Amino acid sequence: MRISSFVRHLPLFFAITYPALVLAQFQQPTAEELKMTSDPKAPGAAAVYLNVEEVANDPIHFQSVYVRIKVLQEKGKELATVHLPYWHGNFKIEDIKARTIHSDGTVIPLVGKPEDLLLSKTSSGNGEQMQINSKVFTLPSVEVGSILEYRYELRYDDDHVSSPTWEIQRPYFVHHARYTFTPFKAFLPGGTSMYLTDAHGNSVNTLIWYKVLPKDVDMKADVAGVFHLEVTDIPATPDEEFMPPLNGLLYQVKFYYMSAHDTADFWVSEAKRWSKEVDHFAEPSKVIKEAVAGIIAPGDSDLDKAKKLYKAVQALDNTDYSRKKSGAELKLLNLKVARHAEDTWTQKSGTSQDITLLYLAMLRAAGLNANDMKVVDRSERVFAMGYLDFDQLDDDIVVLNIAGKDIALDPGEKMCPFQTIRWVHSGTAGILQGDHVRSLAITPEQAYTGNKVTRNGDLTIDEHGAVTGQLTFVMLGQEALSWRQRALRNDPDELKKQFDRSLESVVPDGIEAHIDHFLGLDDPEVNLVAIVNVHGNLGAATSKRLLLPGFFFQTRGSHPFVNEEKRIEPVDMHYGDTVTDQIVYHLPANMSVEGAPQDTKIPWQGHAVFVTKTVSKPGQITIARLFARAFSSAKPEEYQDLRGFYQKVAAADQAQLVLTKAAPAQKGN
Amino acid sequence: MRIPFPSGLIRFLMIALLVFACQPGLASWFGKDKQDLPQWGLDAAKTPTPAYVKDAAVVILFDEYLETVDAQGRATERERRVKRILKPQGRNITCNVDYDVDEKVNYFREWTIAADQKQYQAQDTDFIDEGDTSVPIMLSTRKDRVVHPPAADVGAVIVCESEKSVEPYLQETVWEIQAPIPIVFQALEVDLPSGRSYSAAWHKFPPAKPVEVAPNHWRWELKDMPALDLRDVKSHPDWVALAARMSVQWGDAAIPGIDNQWRAIGQWVTTLEANRPDPSPEITAQTQSLIAGAPDFYAKLSRITEYIQKNVRYFTVSRGIGGLQANHAADIFRNRYGDCKDKTTLLISMLQVAGIHAFYVPLDDRRGIVDPDAPSLMGNHMITAIEVPAEVQDPRLKAIVKTSDGKRCLIFDPTDERTPVGNLPSEEQGGYGILAAGASSQIIALPVLDPDANGTDRKGVFTLSPDGTLTGSVDSASIGPKGGELRTVLKYTDDKERREYWEKYVAYTLPGVTLDNFQFIQPSALDKPLEFHYKVTAHQYSHQAGPLLLVRPRVVGTFGRPFDDKPRSYPIDLDATGRWRDNFDITIPSGYVVDETPDPVSIDVGFASYHSATTAKGNLLHYEREYVVRQVEIPPTKAADFRLLESTILSDEKDSAVLKKQ
Repeated sequence: MRISSFVRHLPLFFAITYPALVLAQFQQPTAEELKMTSDPKAPGAAAVYLNVEEVANDPIHFQSVYVRIKVLQEKGKELATVHLPYWHGNFKIEDIKARTIHSDGTVIPLVGKPEDLLLSKTSSGNGEQMQINSKVFTLPSVEVGSILEYRYELRYDDDHVSSPTWEIQRPYFVHHARYTFTPFKAFLPGGTSMYLTDAHGNSVNTLIWYKVLPKDVDMKADVAGVFHLEVTDIPATPDEEFMPPLNGLLYQVKFYYMSAHDTADFWVSEAKRWSKEVDHFAEPSKVIKEAVAGIIAPGDSDLDKAKKLYKAVQALDNTDYSRKKSGAELKLLNLKVARHAEDTWTQKSGTSQDITLLYLAMLRAAGLNANDMKVVDRSERVFAMGYLDFDQLDDDIVVLNIAGKDIALDPGEKMCPFQTIRWVHSGTAGILQGDHVRSLAITPEQAYTGNKVTRNGDLTIDEHGAVTGQLTFVMLGQEALSWRQRALRNDPDELKKQFDRSLESVVPDGIEAHIDHFLGLDDPEVNLVAIVNVHGNLGAATSKRLLLPGFFFQTRGSHPFVNEEKRIEPVDMHYGDTVTDQIVYHLPANMSVEGAPQDTKIPWQGHAVFVTKTVSKPGQITIARLFARAFSSAKPEEYQDLRGFYQKVAAADQAQLVLTKAAPAQKGN
Repeated sequence: MRIPFPSGLIRFLMIALLVFACQPGLASWFGKDKQDLPQWGLDAAKTPTPAYVKDAAVVILFDEYLETVDAQGRATERERRVKRILKPQGRNITCNVDYDVDEKVNYFREWTIAADQKQYQAQDTDFIDEGDTSVPIMLSTRKDRVVHPPAADVGAVIVCESEKSVEPYLQETVWEIQAPIPIVFQALEVDLPSGRSYSAAWHKFPPAKPVEVAPNHWRWELKDMPALDLRDVKSHPDWVALAARMSVQWGDAAIPGIDNQWRAIGQWVTTLEANRPDPSPEITAQTQSLIAGAPDFYAKLSRITEYIQKNVRYFTVSRGIGGLQANHAADIFRNRYGDCKDKTTLLISMLQVAGIHAFYVPLDDRRGIVDPDAPSLMGNHMITAIEVPAEVQDPRLKAIVKTSDGKRCLIFDPTDERTPVGNLPSEEQGGYGILAAGASSQIIALPVLDPDANGTDRKGVFTLSPDGTLTGSVDSASIGPKGGELRTVLKYTDDKERREYWEKYVAYTLPGVTLDNFQFIQPSALDKPLEFHYKVTAHQYSHQAGPLLLVRPRVVGTFGRPFDDKPRSYPIDLDATGRWRDNFDITIPSGYVVDETPDPVSIDVGFASYHSATTAKGNLLHYEREYVVRQVEIPPTKAADFRLLESTILSDEKDSAVLKKQ
């Protein structure tokens, strides 16, 4: 169960006289449950949930949870330890009862008091303390075959209301789960009108829920306004490589009290509120206008103006990449948390959001048509429109319109080139100011041609396979941005060490690679170049030959998807890109090429292409490899094509280079 | 400064806490009243950054501890620490102080002198208390109070001061004089009541003499301690084992003579755990049922040890002294869970019923941390020494040590759920432990077992098709700690995870492999080999290179360890002794003949040897190799031999046979 969210309400004006709830009591296991050693519905599972029952009754400030688990393998014993986090002070977890039932029916009850452990405690500026604790207990005498059974109650203060989140999908298969929620009285049929406010002081007038449920399953409300949900055979939480964030995928129901009537109403009103706040913050004030006038020239094109202003705001101290100032510092330095764009400009410092909105203000001051777009961070979550929480939208970008063409800009991402957005903000949902404020928009996908890594090598090999030479990494787009942002948080020596460690995972065993220097690290508008020195032993020598890997960077053979036959969830590879390798081998004088990787082209139509080419001439061979991946995500139904493509690439990457020693010249008599 | 065993003899917790110990700084609680930056902080902040700090992100300019011990032996610890941020990655620096239920943080303050010389003091919003949640199967009441200093930019100086009352039952402090960052100046003061004496012991550092700054008030000072940074050192021992430290005793162990000090520490543990193993009627009944009809000592012993290994789940509740002191055997037996000292307690209890005498052995499972020359309670684990009667001479009891008073003791770790009695987990071999045997307590060297006590025999039969696909089967049998390691993987994974784990394991040396099926045969008796049988298909295993077909005879597995060609000043950790053998047969496709095979390899560097040979007979390519490790750790002077060994193995593992068309 998650820590419940709550909204504060004014003191109650009525007495709470509810009948005691009928709580789930421990139940007698069936003979089948006791003797169960595996579960045909969850083959290979280490444990399964036999029952889950959650009851939430907000009018009496009460929730209860009842769980029954069957342990099928040793690993399933991990469920014997139960952690129940809660807000300390407002909530209490009480009446924890638990027992273990062995497969022979022996019952071992939990004795002793559960531990109440601190998770974290912080202080807010107004002196209030925020403390999260966890009640923890572990069941006794747990064996493979045991049934674990526990229940507990959560109670909270009379001046709070709380709505539950039902996390229906769990790490293990669930046979049967039942959920009940009695909303606060004001939201029951014929309920008394109450004055409830949320944290922003808004009047709370509606009970809303967001649900992701299996097909053919729905929640029902009875005549008394109590919500019921019963589910069976819920699969375990998926766990696959390259999955998108799970938040939108898992079966769940979230209830919350809101000041809105329906989905459309919520997003319209929230978008208006947000847009108004943005416009207020990004007001092109006199200070902003003067600053803009000092940066752009009257004859500049609109695009040039946008570029110059972009460069100016990118040069400011972005505290998300340096350090946020504490309250003590702000006070001593007579600084303030920015309330207007001009504050950020004046203080020459701000968060990513402050800088984005400053840029917006400057564009507007320059007479350009620009709007803010509030977007979801794609590394964190998938946008769920049905979930009425504006905080889903994490970050801001700017959409500039020049001659009818929209240009997405990401000035809050320090070192992000003009007209590039960081991948977490690409292909993601958001709300755009202006004419589109009533509707959702999707940011443009990253073009794979804009994200390039080229690895060129010039290597000299001796007849024993010893290799020396230099590699040149040329990076454009997301890879370059990633290293430049690391450079903001680390000094050059540390950055080099980190780059060296990244090299360890791509160069062959036996090769040492160390960066000599970077080029273009400070200028996001140029290619980032890393010059790398290499030496070591490559390949294997026999009495007649020298055997070398055909593709220098592919000897570690770490291609995804090759081993996974099936796919349930979509594939999310963040962004498309192109990786091009070209290695020139200078051969030993007495050796010639006997075998080399064949020229290959493996297409996955409309998605990706893999190409290799070998060019040989006396004393030298050049092996080139190109992997262009135009997609960033794939649907489960596309998986077999995707896997087939990667299998072919993995096979092609195994090609070898064989050099033969020249036969010794015949000695004369 | 950390005290030893802050939460006790708990393996998992200590790992986390010792990581904390690698971080610079402990401090204490913020007082709301604004206080001026103290003079000692201002003075220390003037210390120039020495040239030797090299590429450190932060340097500790000043670090001073004062342990004030009262008449009952309880210490109050004050720490003053001053650090300078040198690089951007040092901006996330913090000060912290850890505390448990028996401790009290009296105050905790932080000031910053910014790079522009402005001064700040941390406010209450800059502090956070965090519970110890690093290990899900452990309940710990230990907490960490952390301050995130204001103005922590490059060039800033961070000044922290804290004071706490230390756990009353500990009468030792460990002064960690080396950190991952350099320390320009550091001092330790121990202020003892009259009549109390102290003893000091040093690890990885020459002893320094204290100055008596007041009656029975001692001060040690050290200057210019270099950083211990092992991030880019391959195959190194544990960081804590290499870091310099000093420990001071002011309790019963504050007596002359190293042996006497170890004896006193062991006596303290003996007293602490006294009566904990007392058997309940249920324990007695269970034990008698287990050993009924046991034909010999080993059978009796192994029935008890396997019972505990299989039936007592690892779980710990660490609350104050509960981190050091075991639960009662009756409770452990009833709940069927416990941590290392609980499992040891139950084992001692059951052995007692069986008429076998056993002892607690506190130690650290990271080799090299317990130092026989530096008596201390410092460690993270508890195992058992089982007295073996003189008449029992059983070759299955390999991990035997002889105590200074002539007893033969079998060293056994009941927390390791899969290594059979008689053997010993590799990480504990070659280390030291405290035999807690009352007045006979002593430090004991843990044995390094013969290579034949550990390892894997692997056989593979494969067929290579003309398109390069390799199919075949692999059968392996593992014994000793290696077998235990595999059993542990099986225990803590479900079917899906197990398949993924083995596919990744096999694919590491056989890219693109598909496990067609796999099966483990896991005999109930832990001293029987664990068998692993699997069938594989690897497309494009052989590589076409023009008219040639290249085939790597070493199909699966690697024996290589990380190495590089940098100068070496630290010992090299070889992990485990053992003997590993591979035998692979590959039937080559018809129409091809073997044109070349790799040259045989044979190297013996004393601490290890490696031999391999590839032969061709008809259409069969045969590969065999044997790798033997005889020591668990070697000195840096052997680095050249280590490099030679590892480069030889690497080269052999990469070698290919060359096939050509007939």
